[in-house]
This record gives sequence, C-alpha cells and structure tokens, in this order.
Amino acid sequence: MRKKRVTALMLTAVLALAAVGCGSENNNAAGEGGSNAAQSGPETADSDVEQSGEAEVTLRFLDVSPSETRQKYYEEIFVKFEEETGISVVYESVPWDDAANKITVLGASDQLPDVLTTHSGWLGQLTNSEWIIPLTDYLGESTEDYTVAVNKLFWQSEKDRFGDIYTIPDGMMVKGIFVRKDWCEELGIELDPAKGWTYDEYFEVVEKLTDVEKKHYGVSYRGARGAFDPLMTYLQNYTGGNTYDSEGNILIKSDECREAFQKWTGLYLNGYAPEDSINWGFTEMVDNFVGGLTGTLMNDSEVAPTCMENMEDGQWMVMPVPKSEKDGKLYNLINGSYSLSISSDSKNPDAAWQLIEFLTRTDNSSNYCRLSGLIPIKKDAAEDELYGEGGPYYTFTMQLNDPDLVVPATIGAFDYTDMHQGMMHEEIQKYLLGDIDADTALNTIADELESRMKDYIKEHPDTSVENALVMQ
Amino acid sequence: MRKKESDDKKTMGALARRRKNMPYYFLLPVLLPLVLLFGYPLIKSCIIAFQNYKLGNSNIYFNDFENFRKLFEDRDFPLILKNSLVYVTGSVAGQFLLGLGLALALRKKFPGRGLYQSIVFLPWAFSAFVVGLLFRWSFNGEYGVVNDLLLKLNIVEKGPAWLGTPGLSLLVVTIAMIWTGIPFFGIMILAALQSIPNDVFEAADIDGCGIFRKFFSITVPYIKPTIIITILLRTIWIFNSFDLIVIMTEGGPANYSQTLPSYIYTKAFSAYDFGLAGAFGLMLMIILGMYAVLFLKISRYEEAGDF
Repeated sequence: MRKKRVTALMLTAVLALAAVGCGSENNNAAGEGGSNAAQSGPETADSDVEQSGEAEVTLRFLDVSPSETRQKYYEEIFVKFEEETGISVVYESVPWDDAANKITVLGASDQLPDVLTTHSGWLGQLTNSEWIIPLTDYLGESTEDYTVAVNKLFWQSEKDRFGDIYTIPDGMMVKGIFVRKDWCEELGIELDPAKGWTYDEYFEVVEKLTDVEKKHYGVSYRGARGAFDPLMTYLQNYTGGNTYDSEGNILIKSDECREAFQKWTGLYLNGYAPEDSINWGFTEMVDNFVGGLTGTLMNDSEVAPTCMENMEDGQWMVMPVPKSEKDGKLYNLINGSYSLSISSDSKNPDAAWQLIEFLTRTDNSSNYCRLSGLIPIKKDAAEDELYGEGGPYYTFTMQLNDPDLVVPATIGAFDYTDMHQGMMHEEIQKYLLGDIDADTALNTIADELESRMKDYIKEHPDTSVENALVMQ
Repeated sequence: MRKKESDDKKTMGALARRRKNMPYYFLLPVLLPLVLLFGYPLIKSCIIAFQNYKLGNSNIYFNDFENFRKLFEDRDFPLILKNSLVYVTGSVAGQFLLGLGLALALRKKFPGRGLYQSIVFLPWAFSAFVVGLLFRWSFNGEYGVVNDLLLKLNIVEKGPAWLGTPGLSLLVVTIAMIWTGIPFFGIMILAALQSIPNDVFEAADIDGCGIFRKFFSITVPYIKPTIIITILLRTIWIFNSFDLIVIMTEGGPANYSQTLPSYIYTKAFSAYDFGLAGAFGLMLMIILGMYAVLFLKISRYEEAGDF
C-alpha cells in the first residue's frame, strides 16, 4: 500500500515539475520542428571556419519571419553572394511567434548566428545583454547612401536610445490604414489619401462602415498581444509624440490621454469590431480584413502584398495614418521591419558585414522590398513606380515626405518584453470586459513604465530621455 | 579441503551479491535517462524557484522567497487557481463519464463495432495543435459552425463570442479537452470491463439482479482500480497541460481562461522569468502532491480490487 502511494507521489512530482524544468529543452525541441535554428546550432558555429587548404568561411543567418517566399529569396541570394565572395551562408529560420524566445535562448547560450534579423522591440534586451555589436564603424560614410528617413528617424532613434547604430533596416515599415474601398463607395464615403484625414474623421468612417446585419465591422481591432502599440501612438498625439519628460515621468496619465484611451477602446466597446477581436493578434486582424469581415485595418506596409494577392484592385486602398486633432501633426511609428544585425558570438564579423552590405545593395534591396512590401532604404532605389504616385505604396512614401510627420518616442530602452506579452494587453482587456475602469487600466500600465524608466535612468545616469523625431 | 570450502563460500557469497544487485543493473538503462531527463530538471526547477533567474540576465542570485511573494501578490493568481480547478474538474469529470459510457457501449459485440471503435478513439491520436485549431474555428464568433447551428436552430438570437467572453472561453477549452480525452478513459475502462468474468454476471442474473445493481455491485468494484488510477493520472496530466489553452485562447481574454501551467509557460517564455515560473511549478507540485495523497486515501485505493 505504502509502495503504491510512494509511486503515485513520485509520479505526481515528476510530472508536475517536468513542465517547468524541461521548459527550455521542450522549447528547443518545439523550435526544431519549425525551424532550422536549433538543428544547426553549435555544430555549425564550430564549423564557422573550416580548414580545407585555405580558410573557408561559413556564416549562419537567422530569419525571424520565415515564409516560403522569403526562404526562396534568401537561399537564392546567398548562392549569388557565395559566387561573388566565396563566403557561404547557411539559412536558418524560426517562426515569428517563437522568434523572441528562440533568440533569447540562443543568446543566453552563446549560440547566436552571425547575422540575425531583429525587431526594434527586442533591441533593449539585445543591446543590454550585449548580444549584438555596434555597426557605426562598419557603416562609415556610407550612411549618406541611405534615405533621409533611415538616417533621421531610424538611426537617430537607435543612437538616442542605445548610443550607437546596431542594426541596418532591411526596408522601412510605415503604418497606414487599409480601407475597404468598395464598402466606402457603396456608402458614399469619399476618401483621398493625398488629403488625409484626422482621427475623428477616421472614427466616423469606422462607425459608418459597421453594419452588423451584413457582418460588416468598421475596424480590425487588436485586443491581444500588441494591443497597446497602436493605442500608444494615438495617446502620443496628446503628448507631442513623447513618452516621458526629461526626468522620466510618464506623460500619458493626463485627462486628455484618458479620454483618448476611452475613445480608442470605444471602437471595441461600441460594437465597431467583432466581440472576438478582444483576443485578436496580427494574424486575425489581417485575415479578417482580407476575408471581408472588417472595413479598416491599421498596419504596416508589409500587409500590402497580402491584400494584392487576396483582394481585387477595387476592393482596397490605403489611407495615411490620421493626423492629430490637437496639433495637426502626423504621428506615425516608422520602423525597420526586420533589421539586420551582427551577433557578438560571430567569429567572422567582417564577413558578416560583407553579407549585410550585399543584402542592402540597391539592386538586392529593391527586390527584397518589392517582395516584402517595404519602403526602400537606399536613396537611388526609391524611384520605383511601385512607390510613386498611383503605385500601391504611394501612401506610405507620401507620409515619409509629409512635413507634419513626427515619429513618436519609443517606450524606452529598457526591457519591457514581459509587459508587451502580458500586462499591457491584459489591463486593456480587463477594462473592455468591465472589470476595471479606464483610469486603473491606463495608470497601471503607465506607472509600471514610469517605474522601469526611472530605474533605467538611475542605472544609466548618462542616458538622455528620448524625444519624438521630426524630419524637418 | 578447508581452503576449497572457504573458496566455495566466497564464490557463493559473490554470486549471491551479484544476484542481489542484478535487478539494479537491469534497471540502470531506464533509471539513468530518467534521472537525467526528469531528475535533473526537477531539482533544477526547485532551485531556480528560489533564485532571481531571468533568461538574458547574467545576474542570477538566490532571493529567498521573493518569487513566492510575487506569486501570492499577483492579482490574477486567485483567478488562475480557480480556472485551473474548474478546468481540471470539468475536463476529468466529462472525460470519465463519457469514457465510461463509451466503454459500456462497446463492451458487447455488435455489427460494425470495430469500425465504430476506431472512429471514436481517433481524437486521442490527434495532436493538441490540430484539436486546438479545430475547436478555435468551430467556436469562432462570426464564422464558427457552432454559432451557425445555434442560429439556425433558433436557440440564440446572436451567436456568442465564445473565445472572447469570460467563462465561455474556459468552457470551450474544457470541451476541447473533454473531446480529446474520452478515448483514453474508454480504452482503459473497456479493457477492465473485458476482464470481468462472465459467470459473475450470470450468477447475478440467476439471483435476479437488476441492471443498476449489477453495475454498482459488480462492474464498479471490478473496475475500481482502473478508475482510480486513470482518474489520478488524467487529473495530473490535465493539470499540467497548457498546449490547448495556448493554441486556442492564449489564456485570454484578460486571463479568464488561463490556468497555472499556461501561466507558467507565459512567465517562462514570454517574460523569461524562470525564477517566478519555477515558484509556480513548485506550487503546482505541492497542489498535485496533496491531491494524490487525498485522492488515494479517500478512494481507498489499497483496498480496491480485493475480492
């Protein structure tokens, strides 16, 4: 009897803790299924430089947003690169949803590949942990070949936050509002991208497009992970694009911001979005816009190829991000999509830089941007018909040249991945479900951000608080 | 002569010792991987539960009970604990009752039993990912087949947002879990049913026993050991499972379908706070340990199956 009980207890203990203890191992195993990253881990790292007469260099490249098209593109271009330089490149990938985890695991175990694509939201962790190296010296004077947007917005932001340039954008990601053109025409709503609109006008269009009987909802509302990102940009319409004052006090706790918070979340609460959208992330938002359930979608230019592929020409159009009701400025978060960086684990950083230079060469970069729905990073690549007037990307390039454009300050250089993956959208969800009021939801997020920002300033006394960036 | 006897004794002693140790040698191939793959993570988890252990942060140190303080201060902890209990109780009860029904239905031979058996046991073979997607789409508030049926049958006027409504999201995950686990109970109980000698039922028939009397006085006592062990194992498995929840709702909305293991997963692999995840894991182990002791005691497992 005692034996039975002891056995049962042991079983319980083993099964209960195996979930946590085996966690990292499990995660690796899971990653292996969908990625090559773990498959070619340490073995490949060790074989970076193979001795076969003369030194042969093999680089590892990690793609964090794999797709059949991207993999084909990279594999073809790596063959071209090898023909030109003799340096071979192994393509590795990890599904986007697991990418942040995988990079953290690889970084913590000193197994990061030579070149990795990253997302701006991860840079705090990557630079704090010194997992990637600065690229300022490698870039030298070639910065002049890049567009003003890359220099003044993208790199300036990195310098402000991290003191150096750490990544080269593979293309510029600009936000816009994808709109069901056919629905608007049916309802007599006239929209002109060149004229633009304000947030109130946008909210009005969302309301008009909603017809629950016809299963038409005005907006693809983001309720799950990432829900705070577009909301934050909207709140920054009322803070001049800044997140903190010079002492690290957060600026989004004002009455104006609370009202803006209620207005934004009203899109869901007033029934302009499906009830299920409280759990929607990027995929659901795009799927339901393309699938014909929602009439507008705020997202990056990378969604354009999906629309081109799945919708008729007359069905959709892109409007710029609405201008602020308060100061008439255009607050739009401009990002590199999956920027290229060199890991500190690389044994061949010079060869890795050669690869980045090759990938960002005008001809290669243009092909890549066309494929991924991005705005080119080199000055001489921007004269493509796709990006000019009448082209599908015109609204995005137009915003980059808008004198009113302001790129809001980011959340901060500290690591807030845990908040982004949890508290930020959970607090908003609790408000949407009526569990807490708007003040509590907004203040809980704001207080946590402020506390982390102040800790960061204390730990990095030389740092200066990032301000919104303007092109002019 | 004496020397030979002493040598013989030594040889016999060595042989006896070898024979005594023999089972342990045979166990080694199983025991070693078990210690490496389960023992090490188990001990490591207990250790990191008392550490400030964040992936990507090299400053790892013992922080006493800080992780447990954070755990109990977590505003959502009571909700998550409640969800876990509801999810496990609902899933195990549903799986057991339907599995028992299935096993009883399959006990007697009927035409097509083999085919029927293969079909109803299929869910056990599906991966959680497939099941998760299947149910997520079926219960989609706008396009889902469930709402479509409810509307067509005039049961509701407006289809509920199953995955976006507190309570309903947990219910959907529970239904998916029940659906997956019925075959396990079915297979195990059916095997136990088939081991009951027929003459016992024949004797009961002669004594004029009714169907319920036969069920509660013969069937249940015979299959009790199987029932106890399957319920115990399945409870532990379900309590530890998080895949369906992560795939279907990611614990949302606002943690209303979050359970302890899925929260541990989120803390470990979204927040990279392995220390806090370890504390949650240790808590889970204590809860399950207490459950196992109580369950075995209450169900009188040691007496089960003795006739």
